[in-house]
Amino acid sequence: MSSIEVNNLSKRFGETQALDDVSFTIPDGEFVVVLGTSGSGKSTLLRCMNGLTQPTSGEIVINGTEITQPHPDTAMIFQQHNIIGQMSAYSNALTGSLKRTGLLSSILKRNDTEDKYRALEALETVGLLDEAQQSARRMSGGQQQRVGIARALVQEPETLLADEPVASLDPGSAQQVMEYLLTATEEHGLTTAISLHQVNLAQEFGQRFIGLKHGELVFDGYKDEFDLDVIERIYEDVNIDQLTGLGAHREDESDSDSGATGATGVADV
Amino acid sequence: MSTDTEQPSETVSPAVEEKLKSIQRARRRRWIFAGGALGILLFAFNYALTMVGFSIHELFYYAPFFAEALDEYFPRTTYFGFLPFIDFMQYVDFIVEQNLFHEAGITLAIGFGGTILGFPLALLFAVLGSGRVTPFPFNFLFRGMMSSIRAIPALVWALIYVPLGGVSPFTATLAVATDTVGNLGRLFTDELEEIEDGPIEAIRTTGAGRIQVIVFGMLSQVYTPFIAWTLYIFEINIRIAVTLGIIGGGGIGLILNTQQRLFAYTEMMATILVILLLIITVEIISQRTRSYIREGDEAMGIVELLKGFPKRMAESLAK
Repeated sequence: MSSIEVNNLSKRFGETQALDDVSFTIPDGEFVVVLGTSGSGKSTLLRCMNGLTQPTSGEIVINGTEITQPHPDTAMIFQQHNIIGQMSAYSNALTGSLKRTGLLSSILKRNDTEDKYRALEALETVGLLDEAQQSARRMSGGQQQRVGIARALVQEPETLLADEPVASLDPGSAQQVMEYLLTATEEHGLTTAISLHQVNLAQEFGQRFIGLKHGELVFDGYKDEFDLDVIERIYEDVNIDQLTGLGAHREDESDSDSGATGATGVADV
Repeated sequence: MSTDTEQPSETVSPAVEEKLKSIQRARRRRWIFAGGALGILLFAFNYALTMVGFSIHELFYYAPFFAEALDEYFPRTTYFGFLPFIDFMQYVDFIVEQNLFHEAGITLAIGFGGTILGFPLALLFAVLGSGRVTPFPFNFLFRGMMSSIRAIPALVWALIYVPLGGVSPFTATLAVATDTVGNLGRLFTDELEEIEDGPIEAIRTTGAGRIQVIVFGMLSQVYTPFIAWTLYIFEINIRIAVTLGIIGGGGIGLILNTQQRLFAYTEMMATILVILLLIITVEIISQRTRSYIREGDEAMGIVELLKGFPKRMAESLAK
């Protein structure tokens, strides 16, 4: 459980203003989707939130602690997976327990038995238990992404951050990964922030939405306020028909897997 | 291509004309430069030959002496009463008499022991020399140390260690170890420069400690190339161990030196054959292991490894 406070956050990269005076507060246990075009500052925001990037001004406070470097209770899932190809899926998942394991024990793989179980359970959660001993670099993009999620789960974080976790996945895997993330958030009582490109997935899974455009906060609200006007405000030139078309298509699909109803509302508009 | 109706090939714009001229000027400059460079090269080459007293005349003058020595390098006998060929038995006699394989074993031990001794320090210096671990000006302290070690050849290191008990297999091993720190450390540093930042960041976010980030984020990415480079340095170290033997470091090199001093050319050649056998064996084993590690994907079982050995060996020889 954790609450996140973002206060007047700004970040400059040379001439580029990646984030411009962004402020919002996320209470315990919310599942937040961060939306915006490429270059709108989504990644920078998430990287600031886990302390991998230092803001130019402003601050981020998670559970009363100002974030200046990676925090053991904040897990991160990366768009490029960032798992270690030379290690097995299991070893990668096990690195999630490094904060609880001494140097020597971690090198000799003498982690707590509990952590070993946790790593295997996390792999089971993401459907990779059978592939646990496979070398990670031989896995497909979707599998690698799921290993990254398993690693984050093993960390037993209070805050889960995910930077476009499904950007490189096919629609089916993307759907699955989003489901894992939502389940994990609910089961472990996490506070989760995920940046997404896919509006349809955002509509289906998001509870709270943060919209960024040119580094500025253009929307902050809950599901009931997240409508086509908002999408237009965030994406400007988006073809709404195409988006709703996708939504309608998704509706057909979700009948068969008795899945989410999130897309329906928008398709009806 | 262009929507212009005028013939674009004939009405060339001034800008294009200008560009072509500038390209031609640049080409002319390059030719003049290349001609000058070639002249300097030839002059320096001539100077170098004069300096070392290179003389075709001397080569011809001494050629008969060398030919005479060749007879001793390759002693001949008649097989089956009529077939003249190299008398291998003379080599074998000497190899058995002096127990050259034991001497080769000492050389192998110098190379092997030195490699293992040098490895931990090479690893430490390489990690500390990486800009990701030690902040910029300070990492050059460690790189500088490795450069200084490399600047001094292993042969000279053996001489430096003379006060530790003369030139012996023991000091030769120390010299090889020192050389390994400089050379293997350099290869490790280079390898560490090329790793990706992503996995390091990912490990940092897991709440890992500083050294855990280095071990799991950095070293785990270069684990296989490190083993491959170590094997490569091991190959080189065996050759260094032979030369260290020649200056008195023991092993097969020492025998070679002794026989040369006695002008016992047949025995020298026998020793060289054993050296050849030693180095080629080490190289083949090392190279097969390295390519096995690099390919690494399809993990080969030990039985499969042994069973397929003759075939892979033949393949690698045919390459």
